[in-house]
Amino acid sequence: MTRADLISLLPEMILCGAGIVILLLDAIAPKLRRSFTLLAVISVAVAAWGAFEAWRGVPGPSFLTWGGLLETSGATYALSLVILLATGLCLLASQGYLRREGILAGEYHALLLWCAAGLLLMLRGTELLTIFLSLELFSFCLYTLAAFHRRIAIASEAAIKYFLMGAFVSSFVLYGIAMLYGATGSTRLAEIGPKLAGAEGIPVGASLGLLLLVAGFAFKMSIVPFHAWSPDTYQGAPTPFVAFLSVAPKVASALVLYRLLDAVVSGGVAEAIEKWTVVIAALAVLSMLVGNLLALAQRDVKRMLAYSGIAHMGYLLLALVVMDRGSLMPVIVYLLAYVLMNAGAFTVVAMLYDRPGEQHLISDIAGHGYRYPLLSACLAICMLSLGGIPPTVGFFGKYLVFLNAVGDGLVGLAVLGVLASLVGVFYYLRVVYYLYMKAEERQPEGLLLDVWGRTAAVVAALGTLVLGIWPWELVQWLLEATAR
Amino acid sequence: METILQLLLGNTLTRLVFFPAIACLPLLFFPRRATNAVKVYTLAVSLIELVFAVLYLFTHLGADGTFPRVGEGRYTWIEGYGIRYELVMDGISMPLVMLGIFLVPIVLLGSWKGIERHWPAFGASMLLLTTGVLGTLLAWDLFLFYIFWEVMLVPMYLIIGIWGGERRIYAAVKFFLFTMAGSLLMLVGILWMAWTFQRLNGGVWSFAYEDMLRLDFPVHQQVWLFAAFALTFAIKVPMFPVHTWLPDAHVEAPTGGSVILAGILLKLGTYGFLRFALPLFPKATEVAQPLLVWLALIGILYGALVAWVQDDMKKLVAYSSIAHLGFVMLGLLAIDQVAWEGALLQMVNHGLSTGALFLLVGMLYDRRHTKKFSEFGGLAKVVPLFAFFLIFASLASVGLPALNGFVGEFLILTGVFRSLGWPAVVATFGVVLAAIYLLKMIQLTIWGPITKDENRELRDLSFREVAALVPLCVFMLWIGVAPETFLKPSREALARTLTEFNAGLERPEVAQATLRPTAMISETGR
Repeated sequence: MTRADLISLLPEMILCGAGIVILLLDAIAPKLRRSFTLLAVISVAVAAWGAFEAWRGVPGPSFLTWGGLLETSGATYALSLVILLATGLCLLASQGYLRREGILAGEYHALLLWCAAGLLLMLRGTELLTIFLSLELFSFCLYTLAAFHRRIAIASEAAIKYFLMGAFVSSFVLYGIAMLYGATGSTRLAEIGPKLAGAEGIPVGASLGLLLLVAGFAFKMSIVPFHAWSPDTYQGAPTPFVAFLSVAPKVASALVLYRLLDAVVSGGVAEAIEKWTVVIAALAVLSMLVGNLLALAQRDVKRMLAYSGIAHMGYLLLALVVMDRGSLMPVIVYLLAYVLMNAGAFTVVAMLYDRPGEQHLISDIAGHGYRYPLLSACLAICMLSLGGIPPTVGFFGKYLVFLNAVGDGLVGLAVLGVLASLVGVFYYLRVVYYLYMKAEERQPEGLLLDVWGRTAAVVAALGTLVLGIWPWELVQWLLEATAR
Repeated sequence: METILQLLLGNTLTRLVFFPAIACLPLLFFPRRATNAVKVYTLAVSLIELVFAVLYLFTHLGADGTFPRVGEGRYTWIEGYGIRYELVMDGISMPLVMLGIFLVPIVLLGSWKGIERHWPAFGASMLLLTTGVLGTLLAWDLFLFYIFWEVMLVPMYLIIGIWGGERRIYAAVKFFLFTMAGSLLMLVGILWMAWTFQRLNGGVWSFAYEDMLRLDFPVHQQVWLFAAFALTFAIKVPMFPVHTWLPDAHVEAPTGGSVILAGILLKLGTYGFLRFALPLFPKATEVAQPLLVWLALIGILYGALVAWVQDDMKKLVAYSSIAHLGFVMLGLLAIDQVAWEGALLQMVNHGLSTGALFLLVGMLYDRRHTKKFSEFGGLAKVVPLFAFFLIFASLASVGLPALNGFVGEFLILTGVFRSLGWPAVVATFGVVLAAIYLLKMIQLTIWGPITKDENRELRDLSFREVAALVPLCVFMLWIGVAPETFLKPSREALARTLTEFNAGLERPEVAQATLRPTAMISETGR
């Protein structure tokens, strides 16, 4: 264990430490509970600094620490920041909700911070068992948090569903790792690629193993056909937490997926690459179509956003169909866009719905545009961004992804993608017209529109707009960071 | 930062485009009950914008009445993809820009009483819409054009959806989805072109109009690209058979929304054909011309016939728009200098006369809350001023000589006859039908005995309403008696586009996409 090893683990250590401190404070001085949000947000900011420190000293394009288990590169740094952003937004959005529901407790913040630590770890793992361990670390936090609202039945239902399927998928992943190890004799992704190249054809074990792994991470990203858990879980889990659940695990899993495909590409077996291209294209098309079409039928805004998330992961996969170094930048921009607009939407939903145990009907926010102008405007901006309407970052993300697809000669897939997103526009607009064009039916009671939650909503909506209008600095930085 | 300020404060296109959007911001801070203050403020902003526009026009209008191409610097916006912020005004966009800015205060005056709720939001939507429309007309970079094209959608969606009639949400969503369906395919087309450009240009990206003109695609690829662009614009125009959103949108939209929709938004479709679809893909245009001519003719006759049988004034005017825009499309498809001049003039004419008709229908609706013919009759005796303006606008729309519609239609028919032949004959029937349905409207509402007692007490037009209508009528007459003043500024730009088009047509067929050193349009200087 060298100094470099320790520094590279700085963000995770900060998050874990802060979680423990908050848990202790919760036991010693429960009266301080209201300040936990601030504490946790500060520790997220410090962790971001830690991530910067860990990245700053990196010589060359990427840097391996802990004997090659963890990688620090521009891409992992950028995605770490995206995850920390999601964590921060979720923390800000949570306090009002937790206080309103009377379930404010230190565990929530601690679990969230640990979860973020697990995600950061998985993001950087280059070895399959490390990836698996961090997958379990954050998954357990997610299961617990999904059930955090103990008093409402659908929260428990959501958590159980998520847990059972998640546990099942974990075994998939583990089995996949075992098969891949059996076929190649290594669990290090960097070694698996060349070993695959050395073998004659593609070993069946390796293919199956990879398939199981891809399925596992596709589950975490809720890609069709591994998506069934997400609408149920989103519906039941505490809404501000869904702002995190619906984005952060997808961010980390997307990079792992990229690494897996990268291993195939670096294997260089043309036949294998071709087959995987087809598999990813099929997953992308299925997700775009199924996600968008099912979202159309939803009346519950949380379920609608769950299906929209499925569709968005489909667009994201478009960038990964043809694997090259260049697809990393569109993926990162798309993930950042997705974090901002989706977390922003869930933040507002968490604040404007007063009955967490019941359905969150879209029609319940009818006419709120005039009663809660600021929050409604934020929600509307996030919806337009999810629909890919300029000048928002949602549009720019789609632009990059579709440009990537067109550049790879996949014009057909790009056309399919834009048609799918047209379907998407329909249900995103539904939220906007309920907000502004319908008469108010019911005024919610006992809302707690605190300054933290407003901040989260405004940050997300403003970020969506600002990055939509001035995206180049970000893109340029990402291009430099991912290229070197 | 400094350049942004300089652009915003100077007599520039940037100021023209962004002043309304920036002037929206104070609307957020008006107290909730201060509706009148909001109205006056929005009107003042639109009038200042008009002053800016006139100032800009006379700064650049040549002494001989021609309008040169004026642009302002190219600023990189999204560097790595060569996306530029570049606004250019030439003879083609100038009349439409002026029309758009000219209509805004009129629309606001026309909506003074009709819009009852949420005035700050209405004013903001109108001003943002102005920015979107102007940006679309002036953008000289395809990416920028696309952004403005989409930005324009949201405020119009809100205008129809918040202040519209009973089925407003259906109409608003339909409007949004139809427009979006086309434009998303256009986006893929634009991406394809830009990507091809950078492949042929050694990895250097560009979305600039002039650079896109340098691309030569083989015919089979041109056809696809043309299809993507043409579909987008055809939906906006709207051409038969993708016109179905228009009657819904018009009928449900509030008066102001209808005026701005007919007055300027529809023109962006025909503008798109003239600026992008035709000159970028001349060979594909040649392939698609027969089909599009047919569709334009069907649009003319179908729009007119359907307008004839309407029992609702607003629906009648809405369907007449389809017929009029069919004329414009026919003129554009003739690929002929005279027809193009007529088409461009007719775009302005339609904005003036149909705008006035929608305003008048709205004024009647404000008084009686109905638009059915059966509810009216004999209005000339009760509201003579109203009757005068309705007849004036209808006659302009029909194409009575000495009013604007005649000049546009005559030029279009002349040009079409010269280059296409028989379609001009068919289109002439459209003129006859226009006379029939508009005169029917006048007959049923204004002449005859007063059939309903409610109509005996109608108030005539107020000063505000006359103030909204008079400027429109002045221009209808002015264009009718002195059309040359309005044709001259555009002549050179149209000729240049025509030369570009014909050169593209004569260029030898290429086996795969190639890049020419320069485009003709850029050769003629800026």
